[in-house]
Amino acid sequence: MKGNSSSAKQLTDHDHYKAPSEPSIRKVPPKRKKRRKSQAFQEAMTGYFFLAPALILLGVFLLYPMGAAFYYSFTDFYILKPDDISFIGFENFSYIWQDAQFRQAFWNTVYFSVIVVPVQLAVALGLALLINKKIKFRVFFRTAFFSPVVMSLVVVSILWTFMYNPNEGLINQLLGVIGISPQPFLTSPDQAMNSIIVMSVWQGAGFQMMIFLAGLQNIPNHLYEAADIDGATSWQKFLHVTLPGLKNIALFIFITISIAAFKLLVQPMIMTQGGPLGSTKSLVYHIYETGFNYRDVGYASAMAVVFTMIVLTITIIQRVLIREERG
Amino acid sequence: MKKLSYLLTGVLVVLMLAACSSDSSANSEEDSSGSSGENQTSDTVETGSVDTSVEATGDEDVLLDFWIHQTGEDETNAYIELIDAFNKEHDDIHVNAEVIIDDGASAYSDSINAALVAGNLPDVMAVDGPYVSSFAEAGVIQPIDKYIDKETKSQYVDSIIQQGTYNGKLYSLGAMEASVMLYYNKDLLDEAGIEPADSIEGAWTWDELMENSKKLTTEDRYGLNLFMNYGVGEWLTFMGAPLVWSNGGALISEDGTKVDGYLNSPETIEALNYVKDLFAEGVVTDSPGEMQFEEGNAALALGGPWIAVSAEDAGLNWGMMPYPYKDEKVSPSGSMAYAVTNNTENPEAAVELMKWMTNEEATIKISKATGMPPAQKSAFENMEKFNELPWSIMKEQVIQTAHARPATPAYPVLTDAFAQSFHAASLGEDVESVVEQQVQRVERELKRFEE
Repeated sequence: MKGNSSSAKQLTDHDHYKAPSEPSIRKVPPKRKKRRKSQAFQEAMTGYFFLAPALILLGVFLLYPMGAAFYYSFTDFYILKPDDISFIGFENFSYIWQDAQFRQAFWNTVYFSVIVVPVQLAVALGLALLINKKIKFRVFFRTAFFSPVVMSLVVVSILWTFMYNPNEGLINQLLGVIGISPQPFLTSPDQAMNSIIVMSVWQGAGFQMMIFLAGLQNIPNHLYEAADIDGATSWQKFLHVTLPGLKNIALFIFITISIAAFKLLVQPMIMTQGGPLGSTKSLVYHIYETGFNYRDVGYASAMAVVFTMIVLTITIIQRVLIREERG
Repeated sequence: MKKLSYLLTGVLVVLMLAACSSDSSANSEEDSSGSSGENQTSDTVETGSVDTSVEATGDEDVLLDFWIHQTGEDETNAYIELIDAFNKEHDDIHVNAEVIIDDGASAYSDSINAALVAGNLPDVMAVDGPYVSSFAEAGVIQPIDKYIDKETKSQYVDSIIQQGTYNGKLYSLGAMEASVMLYYNKDLLDEAGIEPADSIEGAWTWDELMENSKKLTTEDRYGLNLFMNYGVGEWLTFMGAPLVWSNGGALISEDGTKVDGYLNSPETIEALNYVKDLFAEGVVTDSPGEMQFEEGNAALALGGPWIAVSAEDAGLNWGMMPYPYKDEKVSPSGSMAYAVTNNTENPEAAVELMKWMTNEEATIKISKATGMPPAQKSAFENMEKFNELPWSIMKEQVIQTAHARPATPAYPVLTDAFAQSFHAASLGEDVESVVEQQVQRVERELKRFEE
């Protein structure tokens, strides 16, 4: 069905496409001005031709699914009855406000982001500063800190699930050595999200560390030398030379971490299935479950639309802040 | 203005090319078994087109597409041998099987969902028992009563027919049953002087289970293992729902349309409170290691037939008892089964295949490969293993006390609601309020099916 309708669209698109271009080619242009225009048109077409691969991929894998999700969000699309879709207006959206699970998932996601973003930023900066020093085994440390980034998040999640196990896990055995009783890291509603946060910071910080490192090495050395001559302490140098020099990079990292944090999915899916008692269920995970496990694509799409709005708002706010910082 | 029209034509060209490229990509991605729905959709498009081309050449063979789930290699090999034998035996039918990995989470059902939306379901597919009703309600699978005579039907154990029946019509047949046994570590029970049960009649009561679990719990070992490491999912409903039934309760009304007054009934709450007590007494943990029972770190375990296999492999001195009871003796039941989709043009041939995959010979073969109890009564009689202790207890249980999970189109949400409640009980939450919340969720889902 879907294939048919898109090929029908293809035909009409083709007709439309011919209509405006034909006259400009047929009329043999007597004046230079006109020729220049058709030349410009050809140049534009060449441009679009080169752009086409990227635009097509964008269209097929981004714009089309987004449009489809927007459309489905106003319907009662149930996977088992794909031929029986009816338009139900804003019903899905109004249910979002009554959905206790959505509310819980929203606050879980906010909590995760509010903690992970600054902590990860600070850890990444700290690691970058450490590695930037001329210490022994520098390359080893750099590789070690970066290696979690290279590993698949799924693999990392499974490994940490083992490590967090209260009875046989590595972390609890180490705690046992210093006399602390086993902690229910992933099975207590109070601790599960924090455990996921710790793991996420560890996993993600390495990547931001590399970006910070590049930024650190971009700070001109003469600034430090000038500070030395003025008799600045190393803390003063950090505060007045290093930090201002990293400002733009820090803001870039801030935005990327924030967006990534809001898209939290893999860790709770693998480590806790959103539990215990929904304490680690993230927004994206809730959307996934609703759509695929409970087959309610209509409602899942509505939540996805709202989620996009939320992330968009946050990004816009951050953009505005950046502009202020720069000005 | 001109700029705008350039932009417009550009976009139109892109759309046009996009339409072309999506067609060609579907043809080029033949064997990619990627996990994304996009890939799987094009995968099935491919198979579909092969079908029609063969039919068009005038070949009179009936072609059947058959989806089976894969959980283990031995099991899959058994299926493939059976299908090869079927193809040899039937000159006029050819089965084209596709093995889809079932990771215990959602990989298999994702494939079904994708094919459903694209309209590319196979002729016959494997379906998990309790999901039969939701597929039947949506008209995804079709009743098979007219192709099955009474005698054939009576050869299956009752629970298999029960799980395959929705609104009085038979939709699915399975090759294997499943059950949950109370496994025990013989050495530890001897040490504590506890006598295990060796028949359905001697099954432990809830109180006995509680008392003995307490006795068996020591500083460095738990009395009981409930395999909470499987996560909050179907396992908790499979293993836990019989507690409710045994107490005279139910998860949902008989006709599968109402949970208020069932999922939150006093009987259900009492059963969940019993679970809560087990955890509160510290006889069971909510995060056991994978091999807690096999390694002797738990004395008792309420586990599936596969635990017998792994305990044997681990060299444990083990035994099994029937599922414990309160008032009525019931036990978990249900497993993967086969159903004929509405997509098929040859339901008769499709049912023929289902019967072949679930006949006595097939059930014995699959039982041997998986350790699961067979779905045919005669297979039980003919497999020596099930006529001797301890496996005879499993046989008795499947034939006498098996209780299928409820048949309702809202099953996916209902099972999660129960699993969440069970899990909340294990964490010591207030069972009554948790259950109330879950009732609201399921009631909303049930509204979808009111008409």
